[in-house]
Amino acid sequence: MSDGRELDLQLHLLDRQVQDPDRRMICKVDDLELELDASGRPYVTAILAGPRALGPRLGGRLGRWMAAIAGRLATPEESEIPRIDFAQVTEIGSAITIARTSDELNVAPLEGWLDRHVIARIPGSLHESE
Amino acid sequence: MKKIFAATLGILTAIGGFVDIGDLVTNALVGSRYGLSLAWATLGGIVGICLYAEMSGRVAAVTGRGTFDLVRERLGPRFGLANLIASFLVTILTFTAEIGGIALSIELVTSVNYLLWVPLVGLAVWLIIWRVKFSLLEDVFGLLGLTLIVYAVALWQLNPGWGDLLHQIAVPHKPHEEGLLPYFYYAIALFGAAMTPYEVFFFSSGGVEERWTKKDISTSRVNVFIGFPLGGLLSLCIAAVAALVLLPRNIQVDTLGGVSLPVAVAAGKIGLAVVILGFVAATFGAALETGLSCGYAVSQYFGWQWGKFVKPRNAARFHVVVLLSVVVAVGGVLTTIDPITITEYSVVFSAVALPLTYFPILVISNDPDYMGDKVNGRISNTLATLFLGVILVAATAAIPLMLLTKAGQ
Repeated sequence: MSDGRELDLQLHLLDRQVQDPDRRMICKVDDLELELDASGRPYVTAILAGPRALGPRLGGRLGRWMAAIAGRLATPEESEIPRIDFAQVTEIGSAITIARTSDELNVAPLEGWLDRHVIARIPGSLHESE
Repeated sequence: MKKIFAATLGILTAIGGFVDIGDLVTNALVGSRYGLSLAWATLGGIVGICLYAEMSGRVAAVTGRGTFDLVRERLGPRFGLANLIASFLVTILTFTAEIGGIALSIELVTSVNYLLWVPLVGLAVWLIIWRVKFSLLEDVFGLLGLTLIVYAVALWQLNPGWGDLLHQIAVPHKPHEEGLLPYFYYAIALFGAAMTPYEVFFFSSGGVEERWTKKDISTSRVNVFIGFPLGGLLSLCIAAVAALVLLPRNIQVDTLGGVSLPVAVAAGKIGLAVVILGFVAATFGAALETGLSCGYAVSQYFGWQWGKFVKPRNAARFHVVVLLSVVVAVGGVLTTIDPITITEYSVVFSAVALPLTYFPILVISNDPDYMGDKVNGRISNTLATLFLGVILVAATAAIPLMLLTKAGQ
């Protein structure tokens, strides 16, 4: 996406589903990271994901709580808000497709934790439904 | 053979929408009190749900996205979250009622108190969601629920004056001895029961589970236009037999046994056996539908991987939401609050939540950015806008009417 395509962020990016090349769902575009180029025009550098990105956009007490709780639960190595570099984006359609899989990205620590501590312990969790 | 099973998603969705525990009770109750004078509310509900389910199915086929995914995208995170909370509460309340309904149906056969069945029922519902393939689930419960056609058979056996029956349906009227407010209260309950929001969550998510693409828009339409009218017809038959058997004898329906009584009168022991099987199948199907919908709605809002087309380990948060919903629903029934009461309230609250679901669907299905050349036609837009007005009126009036009539007394 380095061709400098112009997008209405509100309409085309924010709150859209992010998926990997196999159409596995990764996250929502909970927020965007912007930077200014040399001429002072903003451009998108990354997709931000998770409650710490969504909380401030929700606003109010609920939004603050959501961000604060997620911040407390994060381990030291997760101190930064999960982000996906915008260079990974390959397609913007009804979902945003990126070039990496969710395992490579690790943007959803809660998914991994619940998987290891809850779901993996229930018999049958490794098999497709029959 | 595949063609026969192609419509089972629509049939299962419609059974969950039209003859789940809420509708079984509401239809029989209304039939025994008002005859068929409120059939217009059900008929309106059938048209409304067909319109909006067709849109949500088309959106799912074209975009591959579930309804709640798009609700947040179009309404923004704040309003989307308010919508999620309201819809989730209604859905889990209905889920609770369905689990109670399955247990009550089993009590009818075994005479063992329903509360003893509740934990087992909860376990069975969860196991099926955990292990059974989506297409098998929709085939089995969609087709088993059709045993409720026994209500149509019972109606035939009762051999009513068909002309008079049609006249009652075609000309809306209010029995003189009944007040105006309870009459409209029940109209909204029937309308809400027919158009419950989880039907479109489930139907559109089911389409994504089945990996519909643009080519499957016709499959989606077959599902809608066979499933929902069939479900609606069954619910009208329930009201009709209640009107014929219970109304003249002044019997009010307040138990599931009361709902089955007209069939026992008209079609005897075998009819009764079939009807109870139908109750179990329909409430079970509706429990699966609402339980899955709890997981679908939350996961789609937050963008988590959801669905039964991946291994549970790849959709951990989705399965945790479903598991917690089962625990809450089972706990809810075990408080010993009468499931029939829960049912009656869940139907009215769904009327309140209706516009939150249906407005975004109408917006998205008109957006060429998502839909390309598959946007709504003029007829479907005119009708859908008209219905949105009706839905708004029903949603606004629901709670005041509930309070004024003390829930229809």
